[in-house]
Amino acid sequence: MAELQDIDFTLEYPYTRTTGPIIGPFLTGLRDGQILATKVGDRVICPPLEYDPDTGATVGPENLVKVGPAGEVTSWTWVTQPTSKHPFEHPFAFAQIKLDGADTTMLHAVDAGSEDAMSTGMRVVVRFRSERLGTINDVYFVPGDEPPEAPEVADEAEPVMITEHLIGVRIREPLQPHRRRFAEGLLAGKIIGQRSPADGKVHVPSRGYDATNRVPMTSEHDVEVADVGTVTSFTEIVPVQYHGQTETEPYIRCSVLLDGADTTVGGIDIRDISVEDFRVGMRLQMVWRDSGDRMGDLDNRGYGLNEEVYERWEPTGEPDVDPESLKEHNF
Amino acid sequence: MARPCAVVGIGQTKYKRRRDDLSLDGLVREAALRALEDAEVSFADIDAVVLGKAPDALEGVIMPELSLADALGAVGKPIHRVHTAGSVGASTAISAAVLVESGRYDTVLTVTYEKQSEGNATWALSGGKSGGQGAGGTFAPWIREYIRRSRAPEHIGWQVAVKDRQNALKNEYAHLHLNDISIDMVKESPMLWDPLHFLESCPSSDGAAAMVLSCEDLVSRSPNPPAWVLGHAKRTEFSTFPGRDTVKPQAGVDCSAALYKEVGITDPRRQIDTAELYVPFSWYEPMWLEGHLIAPEGEGWKMTDEGATALDGDFPVNCSGGVLSSNPIGASGMIRCLEAANQVRGTAGDYQVDGAKVALGHAYGGAAQYFAMWIVSSELDPVFA
Repeated sequence: MAELQDIDFTLEYPYTRTTGPIIGPFLTGLRDGQILATKVGDRVICPPLEYDPDTGATVGPENLVKVGPAGEVTSWTWVTQPTSKHPFEHPFAFAQIKLDGADTTMLHAVDAGSEDAMSTGMRVVVRFRSERLGTINDVYFVPGDEPPEAPEVADEAEPVMITEHLIGVRIREPLQPHRRRFAEGLLAGKIIGQRSPADGKVHVPSRGYDATNRVPMTSEHDVEVADVGTVTSFTEIVPVQYHGQTETEPYIRCSVLLDGADTTVGGIDIRDISVEDFRVGMRLQMVWRDSGDRMGDLDNRGYGLNEEVYERWEPTGEPDVDPESLKEHNF
Repeated sequence: MARPCAVVGIGQTKYKRRRDDLSLDGLVREAALRALEDAEVSFADIDAVVLGKAPDALEGVIMPELSLADALGAVGKPIHRVHTAGSVGASTAISAAVLVESGRYDTVLTVTYEKQSEGNATWALSGGKSGGQGAGGTFAPWIREYIRRSRAPEHIGWQVAVKDRQNALKNEYAHLHLNDISIDMVKESPMLWDPLHFLESCPSSDGAAAMVLSCEDLVSRSPNPPAWVLGHAKRTEFSTFPGRDTVKPQAGVDCSAALYKEVGITDPRRQIDTAELYVPFSWYEPMWLEGHLIAPEGEGWKMTDEGATALDGDFPVNCSGGVLSSNPIGASGMIRCLEAANQVRGTAGDYQVDGAKVALGHAYGGAAQYFAMWIVSSELDPVFA
């Protein structure tokens, strides 16, 4: 039987950003070898903003000015263990850098070699990477005042209007106790719900509490329900293609009210019954995978079963249940 | 007793598939600056800012109320963030109104947005996993259950889809301008989730909407007519619990009942002149007419069928084109509240309902489980006969 693991999931998407009239020229500048700022009243702000940060007044592209290429470190921190999202694979500093000509600081990376080479008040100067895409990481800083060599700029390069960023968060957490018992039940070939001590209704899967009556439920409220039930709701899904989507063909998603339960189990995949034959009120039997083939992939939040414990669901052949009697189970 | 609050400024961006001419900051500022301009005030006159949007995963900008504070002139001022899924636009408007009504702040700027083009809503609603069924896939079975119960004919959904797109042709800000929209076009468009065709579903839009709300003392300073906020209500229920009715959720019924009671409305169909209801899928027009006690159970579709909800009907719904024509999700609920205000201020232009004095703005979200509604009027204390 499969072992239950803690949840370990990375939520990640390649977001795009439209850059607008100020950030666009700023990023285009980094790609093409200059650092731009905005002149707002008496102040020069770098990185530039589309507005006066004090008053919110609009600042247009006519206010863009060049700053740098060198400046002064006003504070810094040393990164000993860079992650894959950092601009360097080796240790480096993140520093607040007040570029020559600017009145505000910009947070950026300093490739200083060692922590000993960093100090507040030190001079740093920009370097342009050989491969530049119009992002903040097109440049970095090094100690000193030595101006950079002018980078090669493609003649036909378009202004940077849109950028792409793979942004994600890794989520690691243990299964909550009631979810663990539910998951263990599935691996053992049982569907475990919880009977509310308040009104006797059986919740499958349970949240670990009865939300309607606001009472907690523990293992003493666990009950086994049947692996046969009635379709209360279904949709034929034509898969929308998005980052991470693996479905390509239409299929049915349905909710089933299992015998002995008062809530429906949602999101059940049906791959081998045609939509013409599928209907609310139909009786279905779950066909389990062999115990060795069941997987323990479950998180804390779903209202469905773990689809990797069953082979399929098949009609029992019993007469349909009257949909009118399922009105309170149509989730 | 709360003090009166009025909408004195309204701002909207043009809604579009992708606003590639603007950054996120620029998009939000476009709506905010237009609302300030309409009210003839500046950021300096604002006492607090209330921001709303749908889940952060839609753009991948986490806690945008922090990074947008300076862009919204909120330096040294309180900025609040509201989040109630798809209903957030209306919840945000209500939260802003409460800040004025409470007496704590005199003038509040409230802004909502979505820049859907930066991410993918179906991905986000699927928790980043494969096999997401999307909003339409969730709502479709409940719509079929509504049809079963009410015995509504199938053309009702097509009618709503056509009516709202025809209204959108009168609204310059609307995303979809489908000049040749027709029943045939709707029913021949691809079936996405039975019974919903492609053209019975909302688009994916970039956009922002904003309002300036003010207390009674400051309303007279505003150059344009006020829309008085007569009342508002929010209600929530769990997505799943034993006995939940997804077709006519109890939270929606309770929300409207509480709102009508607060305002003194006893016959909503007759006493409300026009409504902006959150209708992202065509069938939700009749479903919310019933779910919010405007039509008796089983008869909402008859209002649609008889033309009562058309611009020249006795209960016009979504004269602006509605969510079916523009859907920057986080802003969509505020647009409903703002268009209700537009109607009672008499500033709705080509889609103005003649003589509208009392209007309803509404939004719902999640698995049809979060509700937020308000009623605005051209009069501070209208008499409902």
